[in-house]
Amino acid sequence: MKKIMHILFLSCKKATEMIEKKLNFKLSWYEKIQLEGHKMMCSACKNYEKQSKLIDIGIAKSKEKDFSQEDINQLKKLINDKLPNIN
Amino acid sequence: MGNNKTVDLTELVDQYTDDLYSWAFYKVSDAEVAKDLVQDTFLAAAEKISSFKGKSSSKTWLFAILKNKITDYYRKKVIQSVSVDQEHFSSYFNEKGDWRREKMPKDWQEKEEHLLDDINFQRLLEECLNALPESWNTAVKLKYLLSKKGEEICQELDISPTNYWQIIHRAKLQLRDCIETNWVKD
Repeated sequence: MKKIMHILFLSCKKATEMIEKKLNFKLSWYEKIQLEGHKMMCSACKNYEKQSKLIDIGIAKSKEKDFSQEDINQLKKLINDKLPNIN
Repeated sequence: MGNNKTVDLTELVDQYTDDLYSWAFYKVSDAEVAKDLVQDTFLAAAEKISSFKGKSSSKTWLFAILKNKITDYYRKKVIQSVSVDQEHFSSYFNEKGDWRREKMPKDWQEKEEHLLDDINFQRLLEECLNALPESWNTAVKLKYLLSKKGEEICQELDISPTNYWQIIHRAKLQLRDCIETNWVKD
């Protein structure tokens, strides 16, 4: 039974790979059916998909910027020190 | 002549370092890397200044150089992680591709928005991201850093889509596992 399920509806390894494909690209209609079929029978992969999406949102949220003017001034000085050597 | 160039560039450094740096930082979210990229941009500009005809503004010109530097940076990074080793997967899945019992994703029980607003969860996510090998860390952040879709990223970095989502797959497995293992509810 499990073997048939793997062939028709993917292994968990393949199903989670398809979930990542789905989040970044598009699935073919066949892959879609396979993945949906798999998730109907596998709560672990269903959890995986939910959590993978959640992690994505979390990463998007965590992207903040903070830097000081002092950093910038130091950087300017560093660059200017290097520039004359080139010309 | 040589002197003139130096003076011009120094002026540009003074004028545009802020903008270039904040853009680079936004794209790579790493202060040291951003500084290096801005520095490389001006060094490249110094080399190429004679070919700069002033068709575009100097600001546009510098940003174009920086953009190439950023793409190069990511290309190198992502290419490092392209080979997908099967060994990593075997800690999550058995030889048939089923979840190993102890690694099966559990139901986290909490509402998404609660987790995302939870400062401890955010901190844990950050820690788990940092625990990833560097090139994997970059790969999972890439679409947000570049604000681009999968296809565009692959085109720009010259990697195949299959490679790209396999890298993400591998990184996400570890990231998710790290969060689940370390997430303790008080």
